[in-house]
Amino acid sequence: MATQESALEMRGINKSFAGNAVLVDVNLSARAGEVHALVGENGAGKSTLMKILAGVYHPDTGKILIDGRKVSFARPSDALASGIAMIYQELSLAPELTVAENIFLGREPLSFAPLGIVNRREMNERATGMLKKYGFKIDARTLVKRLSAADRQLVEITRATVEAKRVLVMDEPTSSLTAHEVADLFRLIRELKNRGLAIIYISHRLEELDFIADRLTVLRDGRAVYAGVWGEISRTEIIRHMAGRELKEIFPLRAAAKGEVRLRVANLAREGKFSDVTFEVRSGEVIGIAGLAGAGRTELVETIFGAYPADAGEIHLNGARVHKAQPETSVTRGLGLLTEDRQRTGLCLNQSVTRNLTLANLRSLARGLWIDAKREKVAAQEQIEKLHIRPPDPDKTVARMSGGNQQKVLLARWLFAGSRVFLLDEPTRGVDVSARSEIYRVINQLAKAGAAVVMVSSDLPELLGMADRILVMRRGRLVAELDARKTTQEEILRHAAVDEEESQVSSFRFQVRDGAMR
Amino acid sequence: MSDWIKRLIPFASLIALCVIIAVLQPKFLSTGNLGSVARQTAVITIMAMGMTMVMVSGGIDLSVGSVMALAGITGAFALAGGAPTIVGVAASMAAGAACGVVNGAAITTLRIPPFIVTLGAMGIYRGIALLVTDGKAVVGLPTTYGYLAEGNILRLIPVPLLIVVTVALAIHFLLSRTRLGRYCYAIGSNVEAARYAGVRVARYQIIFYLILGALAGLAGAIESARLVTGQPTAGEGYELRVIAAVVIGGGSLSGGQGTVIGTIIGALIMGVLANGANLLGISSFTQQIVIGAVIVLAVTFDEFQRRRLETARS
Repeated sequence: MATQESALEMRGINKSFAGNAVLVDVNLSARAGEVHALVGENGAGKSTLMKILAGVYHPDTGKILIDGRKVSFARPSDALASGIAMIYQELSLAPELTVAENIFLGREPLSFAPLGIVNRREMNERATGMLKKYGFKIDARTLVKRLSAADRQLVEITRATVEAKRVLVMDEPTSSLTAHEVADLFRLIRELKNRGLAIIYISHRLEELDFIADRLTVLRDGRAVYAGVWGEISRTEIIRHMAGRELKEIFPLRAAAKGEVRLRVANLAREGKFSDVTFEVRSGEVIGIAGLAGAGRTELVETIFGAYPADAGEIHLNGARVHKAQPETSVTRGLGLLTEDRQRTGLCLNQSVTRNLTLANLRSLARGLWIDAKREKVAAQEQIEKLHIRPPDPDKTVARMSGGNQQKVLLARWLFAGSRVFLLDEPTRGVDVSARSEIYRVINQLAKAGAAVVMVSSDLPELLGMADRILVMRRGRLVAELDARKTTQEEILRHAAVDEEESQVSSFRFQVRDGAMR
Repeated sequence: MSDWIKRLIPFASLIALCVIIAVLQPKFLSTGNLGSVARQTAVITIMAMGMTMVMVSGGIDLSVGSVMALAGITGAFALAGGAPTIVGVAASMAAGAACGVVNGAAITTLRIPPFIVTLGAMGIYRGIALLVTDGKAVVGLPTTYGYLAEGNILRLIPVPLLIVVTVALAIHFLLSRTRLGRYCYAIGSNVEAARYAGVRVARYQIIFYLILGALAGLAGAIESARLVTGQPTAGEGYELRVIAAVVIGGGSLSGGQGTVIGTIIGALIMGVLANGANLLGISSFTQQIVIGAVIVLAVTFDEFQRRRLETARS
């Protein structure tokens, strides 16, 4: 790492919490004008390392150097003052303020400094200018609470670029973005590189990193197991460094054996969200639903589940028509929904694995009024073993578990509830590589055992690897039904995108898709 | 481990408080005085246990004091009309339950925050009670009715204490071992997640308010027995003491947390403080300041614990 001085250097960082070593002798160097990718499974230590950089935690030992000068941060504002800005995975915008107000929060342009009167016009103009320059189609005067998750992420990114002077850390910045927006983001990142910023980019999406990463550090179990120039090692090797072992067959194969139609949807519509959706799923089948953000996929599965009422059309479950679908009746009829946002609509965060797991089927554990605690514990242990939930502690509070394990707990909920038809909305979003493959294994087992699975996903390789058929939605309509074995990412995108530009941009994102993931 | 410490601290504070007061004024420990403490805290404690359920589920009910009064005079009317004690108490509880159902139904169908709905209900129920009695006490209750509040079982245990213990066992059982209790915690922890898991959220929320209402009715019956009249002005200001009991005992205003034992300790801490202050001749104005401070301290301590646990995890 020698020719130019690194903008940021972290040397020999050690950190333990309550006796557990979370980071062991970690080194990280990021140079100005470069994107340094930081990858690793959940729990590898990436967040902790970045929180140390942001001044939220203090390292037990080790140094941080900015432009060769040693710095130490007593609090996050010190890190900010040193020119380090972070974009967290959990968004930190104020929903009741406008986009412009959020972007300039804390550094509003003032028209009369002594009284702190904000120059609203300048603020809006500058914000509008920035958004336009980056190509984000967002109105600076909109209230953040009215924005989609994708737009909020873009606002968050914009805000960080105002703050960042030397180092910008981005943690999974594309998790809520469509292909189009990712392209905009990458353009922005290139511009920031030209500005001389050192960018640390944390992501699970190795294929995206191909477009922007210059260097790579891989963390595993708190150690930096690989550091080098991007492209030096193959994707398989990166994954091997991350997981510490070969991950063969991330998409386990499954023989297709179909049974009866378990779920049939006819001309289903919900005002303003989707219309005229018709499809059926048989036992043993996995149906993928692809589409860009906003196509209505989540709304579709929520309506089938009964969380919201349909305005038109019919739902048939196990051959019988469902009138007025409701979550409670769906559950007893064997329909389960793994929601898109597990923190908001899936988990009771302050409760244990056991309680979260058994919530949808307490009646099977009830003897009269009271719950058989012993049987419950046994049931929970069973699911923990079946799904390799880690840590295998039935009393563990789910808030403290990794995203992948949290998702497994929710999947276990539906398994325990005896669901036969599964609606999975982005089942591997925010889930690390090894947990992903376990979830795929479970889904395949379910299908083999006769369940019918509907999987909404923005991860095209995932859909191609897991589904038998892929339905494509576009702007609320079902526009294509493709055979997963015969179709390609490009074809799916062509149906999913509205116009030529969106289609080209989406292909651009996935061009180098191959190798280890398939 | 930390969960145990959390529960132990309020209990230890209570013991410490009792010790301090006993040292300063040994009369505190006399059976007469302890009995008095039991009787005085009974009404608040009973309602606080119902409130525990409602708050754990993420709700709140500001109308409990008014429900207590309305239910109390309903029972009083029945008793004045010649009904036996058990019918009078049942009438109180039924009236309270009815008020609770109205609260619950309004909250679930109107989808307005419980704070607001019950704030309005507080005025409405109080108004009805005053209207129906023309602002005057309901008299003509049999004097034997006073036994409910002033009597002793086996010469030693005050009747209200027995009632409190029974209610405590029942609510503790409901909250910790039944589906009802499980749904209560789930709804309070994440109402959307509960809904998506197939829990009939609205129905259970109404049940929680119903139970609180019934217990407020029971409290009203006991209060009427204290003066052997039905007072339409009973329970004024009680709602805040009831909520304070839950909160001091570890319950969270945002739901998902709280236990019966904690609430009882919370109610006892307030009751012992008040009793001790009286024994020591401390003015009731000072008492109010102290109680206010205790509430803030208890919640601060609780939050502090919670945050320490959260940072320790990553």
